[in-house]
Amino acid sequence: MESTQVVIIGGGATGAGILWDLSLRGIHAILLEQGDIANGATGRCHGLLHSGGRYAVKDPGTALDCIAENRILKAMAPHCVEDVGGLMVQCPQDDPAFFEQWWRAAAVAGIPSRRLSKDEALALEPNLSNNILGAFTCPDAHVDVFRLVLANIEAAVARGARFHTYSKVSSIYTVDGMVRGVRYRNTRTGEEEDIKCNVVINAAGGWAQEVAALAGVDVPVRCDKGALLVLNHRPASRVINRCRKAGDGDILVPAGPVCILGTSSMSVPGPEGLAASPEEIEYLLRLGAELIPGVANARVLRVFCGVRALHFTAQEDAAGGREISRSFALIDHETRDRVGGLVSIVGGKLSTYRRMAAAVCDCVALKLGVKSECATDTVPLRPAVQRKAHRRLSESLPPAVAEKVERRLGPRINHVIEAIEARPELAELVCECELVTRAELEYVLGSATPMAAQTISDIGRRTRLGFGPCQGTFCGYRAMLAGFQTHRWSASEAANEFSSYLQERWKGQSFIQEGKQLEQLGLSHELYGVDSPACSLPGEPDGK
Amino acid sequence: MESNHYDVVVVGAGLSGLTAAGLAAQQGLKVALVASGPGSFVLRAGYLKTRQMFAADAAPDMGEAITFFCEMANFAGFPFEGDPFLSRYLPTILGGFESVALAPRVLWNAEPGNGSSTAIVGVRELSYFDENFMAERMREQARLLGYSAAYSARSISLDGFCQAPTTTLRIARRFDCDAAFRAELVSALRTAAVGVDRILIPSMLGLYSSDQQLAQIEREVGCALCEMPTLPPSIPGLRLFHLLSRFLHKSGVEFYEGFPVEKLNLREDESVELQIASPGHPMTVHGECVVMATGMSPSSLKSGIGTGHDEQMHPHISAGSALAANIFTTEPALQSAGFNVDAMEILSGYRAGKLAAATRGHNAAR
Repeated sequence: MESTQVVIIGGGATGAGILWDLSLRGIHAILLEQGDIANGATGRCHGLLHSGGRYAVKDPGTALDCIAENRILKAMAPHCVEDVGGLMVQCPQDDPAFFEQWWRAAAVAGIPSRRLSKDEALALEPNLSNNILGAFTCPDAHVDVFRLVLANIEAAVARGARFHTYSKVSSIYTVDGMVRGVRYRNTRTGEEEDIKCNVVINAAGGWAQEVAALAGVDVPVRCDKGALLVLNHRPASRVINRCRKAGDGDILVPAGPVCILGTSSMSVPGPEGLAASPEEIEYLLRLGAELIPGVANARVLRVFCGVRALHFTAQEDAAGGREISRSFALIDHETRDRVGGLVSIVGGKLSTYRRMAAAVCDCVALKLGVKSECATDTVPLRPAVQRKAHRRLSESLPPAVAEKVERRLGPRINHVIEAIEARPELAELVCECELVTRAELEYVLGSATPMAAQTISDIGRRTRLGFGPCQGTFCGYRAMLAGFQTHRWSASEAANEFSSYLQERWKGQSFIQEGKQLEQLGLSHELYGVDSPACSLPGEPDGK
Repeated sequence: MESNHYDVVVVGAGLSGLTAAGLAAQQGLKVALVASGPGSFVLRAGYLKTRQMFAADAAPDMGEAITFFCEMANFAGFPFEGDPFLSRYLPTILGGFESVALAPRVLWNAEPGNGSSTAIVGVRELSYFDENFMAERMREQARLLGYSAAYSARSISLDGFCQAPTTTLRIARRFDCDAAFRAELVSALRTAAVGVDRILIPSMLGLYSSDQQLAQIEREVGCALCEMPTLPPSIPGLRLFHLLSRFLHKSGVEFYEGFPVEKLNLREDESVELQIASPGHPMTVHGECVVMATGMSPSSLKSGIGTGHDEQMHPHISAGSALAANIFTTEPALQSAGFNVDAMEILSGYRAGKLAAATRGHNAAR
C-alpha cells in the first residue's frame, strides 16, 4: 500500500497547482485523477489568462487577483502563456456609461490599459466590426491549459510528488473523525488500491460534491455549463472582449493556430453528459459576429462544453449562473463538519488557480504542523533550455517545428534530439497543424516521461495533436500506428483505441450543420465508419 | 454558337459533376465543366459501399444511375465489378473489413477467401502503412468473419528511388513517369510474392493506370495483385478522377479547371453567365443550363441560393432572388445519405444532368 501525507483528488489546474505548491514546501503528496489531466473544467474553457478587465467593474476583488496572477504566471510559466494581449471593445449596442466606468475601475485595479480610438483599434485588429466606437487595451493572454497542468505536475514529480491518471477515488476512510486514507480504482484496468494519508484535498471541481459525499459531508456546487466553439483560424490576433457587463458570446481567444469563441451560461444538473444545441451554436456565432463580422462565416471545427463549478450562497443561488461570484471557497471540514484532515476547494477560476492552491496549502501545512510559505510565485515551473540543446534542436528540425517543440518540451527536448539524431526519419511530421514530429509522439508514449500518454486523446493533451481541422482523422491514425510500432498496443488494442478516440472527436463535431467541416467529418466517417463486422446491415454477407 | 457558349455548364468535378457532364455529353449537347479541382471523392476509398446502395434503395432510378456511371467508368478504363445490391468484404485502413458493392478488380482481389494465403507488403520508405498492423488485424478480423485465411507481413524497399519518408502519392507519380522505377517496383513485388497466392499492397500503382495496365503488372508480378486504400489522398480515387476526366475530354466536354466560379449572372436571354476567378484575364462562360455540383462548400456565388433543392432540382431560393428555371443543384447529397455519399452523388448528378439535358432540348426546340 502506498502511503503519503496528502492525497489530492482532481487533476485540473487547481489540483496540479496544489501538488506543485506542496512539493515546494516539502510535503509529500499523491494526486489522483479519474481521467487524464485537465479532464474537467480546466480542459474545457477558453484558456484565457484574465487581466482582470472583465471583472474590473463588477468584482474589483477578483480583478485585483487576476492582474496579480496574470503577472506571476507570465513570469513563472512563460512556455504555457501566449502573451497576445487583449482589447475591450466598445460596441454601439452597449451602454456608453459602462465604458467610462470600466476605464476608472481598471485604473483602480491597476490593470495597465490604453484608450484606443476606433481607427487605432481597427489598425490593430482589422477584422473588427466597422461599427465599433473604440477600445481599451488590457494584458489578457492565452494560456495552454493542458501544458499548464502538465508543467505543474512535471515540476512536482521532479521533486518527488506522485501522480496517477485514470484513478477514481471510491472511498475516503475516516477513523474517529479523522481522514486515514483513500481507496481508488484504476478505470482502465479495474484494479483497486488503497493509499494511507493524513490529509485529503478535494479539488474535484464539478465532481466536488460527489467526492465530499464519500466522506459524508456536503459541498454545495452549482454546475454552470458553457459551450465554446473552436474556429479554424485566427480572425483576431488578440483576445477580444466586449466592454460591457459580462455576458454570453463576448470573448474570442486566439489559441495557437485556432481561436475559441464563447461562452454561453446555463445551469445543468452535473458535470457529465453535456451537449450544445444547434441554437446555442448559432447564438454564439451571431454574438461573435457583432464583434468580428467574419465570424458568421467561420468554419467551426468543434464544439465543446465545460462546467464552471460554482460555489454559492443561498441568495446568490436565487440570482443564477452569471451572478454567482467567480471567487473561490476553501472549506475546512474539520471546523465545519468535524471531519479532520479533509479540505475542499471549490469555485474560482483558471486565472487564479495558483492563488487557490496557495490558500489550500497554507491550510494543509498548518494541519500537518509544517512551517512553510508559498513559493510558487518565485520558483519558475520549468528550468530554461540550455543553449547547446537549443542549437542541436535547430539543426535537426525546421525552425517553426523546433520552436513549437521547444515550447512544449523545454529541457526535455533532449529526448527528441537524441531520437532524431539516431533515426532521422523520426523528424517526420505526424500532425501538420501543431507540428508534432514522430519523435515527440514516441516520447510522450514512452517510459522516459513521468506522464506517459495512455490513449490517443492523452497524446492530444500533451502535444495538441488532432486539434486542427482534420480533428484526428489523419494524425490520430498515425498516432495509433506509432503506438503499435512502439509496442504500446497490440494491433487490436490500437484499433480499439483509435475507434474510441474517433468517437470522442466525432462527438465534438456532431453539432456542426454545414460547410467544409461537415464535409471533413463525412470523410472521417467514410474512412472509418464501418469497421467492425459486428455492425452489419441487412443484406450483408455473413461469412462462410 | 460562340466558343464560350454551352448548352450545359457543370460546376464541380466531384462524382455528381462528372456524372452530370457525362450524361449531358452523351445526349449530344455542348458541355463545359468548370472546377477548381477534383471533388472530395478522390480522398475516399475508390469503391462504392453497400450501405450507400441501401440508403438510396428507395430511389427508383438508382439502378439506372449506377449503371450509367459504371458504363462511363468502363469506357474510361476503370471498370467497376460487382452487384450494386450484393455486398462482399474488402479491407479497410483499420485492418477490418467493410461491405462493398462495386469496386475495380485490383481492389476486389483483396476480398478474403478461404484457404487463401496473402502477403501484405509494406514499403519501408512509406510511413503510415504498417504491414504488421494490417496482417495482425486482418488475421483476427477474417477469423471473426468465419474465413480461414492466412495473412503474413513482408516489406520491400525502394531505396535509391524514394527518400524516406514518402507518400503513396509520390510513389504513384513516380510510377507514372519513370519506367526504371516501374521495373524496380515490379521486380521488388515479384520477390515479395514468392510462396503466396496474392500480395496486398497500399494503393500506389499510378494515377493513370487503366485496368488493362494493372492486369499487365499483375502478370509480371506472378500472383494475384491487390491494392488497398490508404490514408487520403486515395490513389484509386485519383485514378478514377483522372481516367473519367480524360474520357469526358475525349467525349467533347470542355474543361475549365483550376479556378473557382466567383459569380453567376442571369442574363436577359435567360442564359447564365459564369465568371471564373482566373488570375490576369478573368474568364466567362455562358450556359443555357447550369448544374451546380459544388458539394457542401459555402461559397459567395451561392448568395441568394439556399441549401437544398425542390423535386425538379432547382435550388431553394432565399427571399429576394429570382428563380431560374435553368439552374439545377445536386445538393445536398451528404445529409440525406447520412455520410455515405458516393452513390448519392452519382444519383444526384445523374438526375441533374438528365433534367438539364431535357430543359436544353426543350429550349432548343422552341
